[in-house]
Amino acid sequence: MSKYLETTHDKFVFKVKVGYCYSKDDFWASVDGNTALIGVSDFLQKVKGDVAFLETAEAGTELKQGQEIGKIETIKATFGILSPVSGKVIKVNPELETSAYLINESPYDEGWIYKIELTNFESDKKELLQAEGYMEIMKEKIAEEMEKK
Amino acid sequence: MKEEKKKVVVLACSGIGKVYGTIARETVYELMERVRPDVVVTICLPLLMIDDPDAKKLVSDNPVITIDGCPKCCSQKNLEAQGVKADRSFQAIKFYTAHKELKPDGIAELDENGRKLAAIAADELAQVVDELAAGGEK
Amino acid sequence: MIPLNVLKVLKVGIVSCSGEAIPGGTVSRIASRKVLDELRPDKTVTICLPLFIAAGGEERKFAADYPTITVDGCEKYCARKSTEKLSGKPARSLLIPEILEKRGMKAPARLRNMSTEEKATIQVVAEEIARTVDEVLGTKE
Repeated sequence: MSKYLETTHDKFVFKVKVGYCYSKDDFWASVDGNTALIGVSDFLQKVKGDVAFLETAEAGTELKQGQEIGKIETIKATFGILSPVSGKVIKVNPELETSAYLINESPYDEGWIYKIELTNFESDKKELLQAEGYMEIMKEKIAEEMEKK
Repeated sequence: MKEEKKKVVVLACSGIGKVYGTIARETVYELMERVRPDVVVTICLPLLMIDDPDAKKLVSDNPVITIDGCPKCCSQKNLEAQGVKADRSFQAIKFYTAHKELKPDGIAELDENGRKLAAIAADELAQVVDELAAGGEK
Repeated sequence: MIPLNVLKVLKVGIVSCSGEAIPGGTVSRIASRKVLDELRPDKTVTICLPLFIAAGGEERKFAADYPTITVDGCEKYCARKSTEKLSGKPARSLLIPEILEKRGMKAPARLRNMSTEEKATIQVVAEEIARTVDEVLGTKE
């Protein structure tokens, strides 16, 4: 059974899935051998809002860690999909074409965005955080968001 | 033989947290007041939760369209909790993705883009209303 | 539920009826947003009633752990009854026709596109909600 770390602010519960790696840009990678699924964190999807439009890179696209490989547009914002890992796009989640809301409803599971063939993970992982480390950064970001309001 | 038009119940989620809830609500008002005033009726969605007998009878006896703001589909789910399945279901966010140039704003009160989007949504739903109104017994 | 005598309560959940079929629902909705966005932004959280009813876990948990104020547009008391059923008795329960009657104001007749006079009722209700927030939190602005 999947485990999550949680923190609550007002009525919002922010989850971080244990076992994934996280970038400071709020994207996650779930590594399986020499491939990884990547997506947005629960914090990012909550802050940015319901996904209305999605622009993605094609299969075969090569990418570096931190590189923008697509865009997500919500009512509130348009933001880049920043890859937490280096590699090559194997496939884009086909479900998102008709059901982009999966990014909001299931950010860590059905809402994955890309499957990536990893090319430099041993080096990439030095820049990534485990769930506990990301939780601390996320709490700071939540506090900053609340101050903005 | 004169074909009698049923009433068609349109239920909006009216969610207060997002602009889409306001668009769903405004779309219902456009249908009720401008597009199909003699056919479309609505009820307050929470009346179903408190087991209001008139509300339950209305949705049981007439075709129902739900308009939800977002994929959480509260209107649809609240209706199904009463043992009634919507005849057709729509989401306001999908009206926006089909009309990207009309990015709406305003939860308490819609801006001009939001009002235009609701008007377009109501015009698009008119045909659905007509089909359901002309349909047979529920 | 977190006992109020143990924890200083800093926020209140507002559960608005938002009823689509009555003008009171429109007043309730806009007035509640006014409190959230302008009058008491740091002290209130809005509980989306449709989501609350459709098994919105976050909405229900907040309403169970924090004091709530329900705002109803008519005597059917949907917001109050739903809150009692799903999370517990609200700290305060407001009824818009009652608020307006006390001020000698006529309730709006329109569901939308309200006149200046009708919009004035929204401001009055918003101020009453804000005053009630202060009362529940034991604060004054």
